[in-house]
Amino acid sequence: MIPSDHFVRYYNEVFKALEGKGREHLVAYWSELGRLQSRELADAFRQGGIQACYTYWSVIDEEENCDAELALTEDYFELRMNGCPSLSKVLDNDAAPSALYCDHCMGWIEPVMQTAGLHAVMDMRSRTEPHCVFRVYADKALADAFASEAALVSRPYGE
Amino acid sequence: MRYREEGQVHMDFHRTTNGTIAYLRNNYGQDFLDETFRATARDVYKSIREDLERGDASQLVEHWRYFFSREGGDYEISEECDEIRLEVKRCPAVSYLQGKSIEVDPGFCRQTSVVNSTLVENSEFEIETQVLGNGRCVQTLRKRRNA
Repeated sequence: MIPSDHFVRYYNEVFKALEGKGREHLVAYWSELGRLQSRELADAFRQGGIQACYTYWSVIDEEENCDAELALTEDYFELRMNGCPSLSKVLDNDAAPSALYCDHCMGWIEPVMQTAGLHAVMDMRSRTEPHCVFRVYADKALADAFASEAALVSRPYGE
Repeated sequence: MRYREEGQVHMDFHRTTNGTIAYLRNNYGQDFLDETFRATARDVYKSIREDLERGDASQLVEHWRYFFSREGGDYEISEECDEIRLEVKRCPAVSYLQGKSIEVDPGFCRQTSVVNSTLVENSEFEIETQVLGNGRCVQTLRKRRNA
């Protein structure tokens, strides 16, 4: 058994193996994860909007031992990740990190949000430091405005 | 031990592992799936592998004990006659999937058998992994007869 604690390090090996076949193979895998996650989450996000996102990531924050600050405003839900447990493990690893590791988050989140009719933006800030700012908006124009000011937007599926 | 996580255990990662195994097996075949496990054993578990290559199995046994305990598995480790035997009576990963009524992919236990075989491939040890089904297996570490 690969312990659940070591899943992200296995995940990282999967990313590298798929990327070795071509970036489109890695993106197709993320898309499949997004399809599966949509079954679990899209209805709740569609019905509950950004409040439901806040509720979902509050649980993730605790279960995945995140060092994060969550906020809910009138316009958006924000997760400000100060210490990402996922990238931290991939960096604390005897195996090399996938260059696209951080994009897996938006890789599964974007299909879920599209299905739910919401608009997510992730400012990765850096691909080698375990922090980022993630926001979900109901209004696409506000999401685009945040993306335009971001330092390093994750766009696994392109523009 | 190289990795010793603490805090909450996020068991749902076993669901993603199961889904990933199914996806890779169905789209790329078993050899490709196995290569991801071989890479994990070679590189992620480099420290355990190198210890085994030096003839030291203690980190692997500690890894078994620590993570099966941490995830609430029912298991027993015994040592006799130059063999170390891990008997898993209830695998936490399989148990979690079954508890969520998630179909366990037929390739799920290759994460154990392929990681084990790769860890010892350049060492004096062999690991026999007997998958018995329904979350039960026996993993036996011993020195190769021709070592």
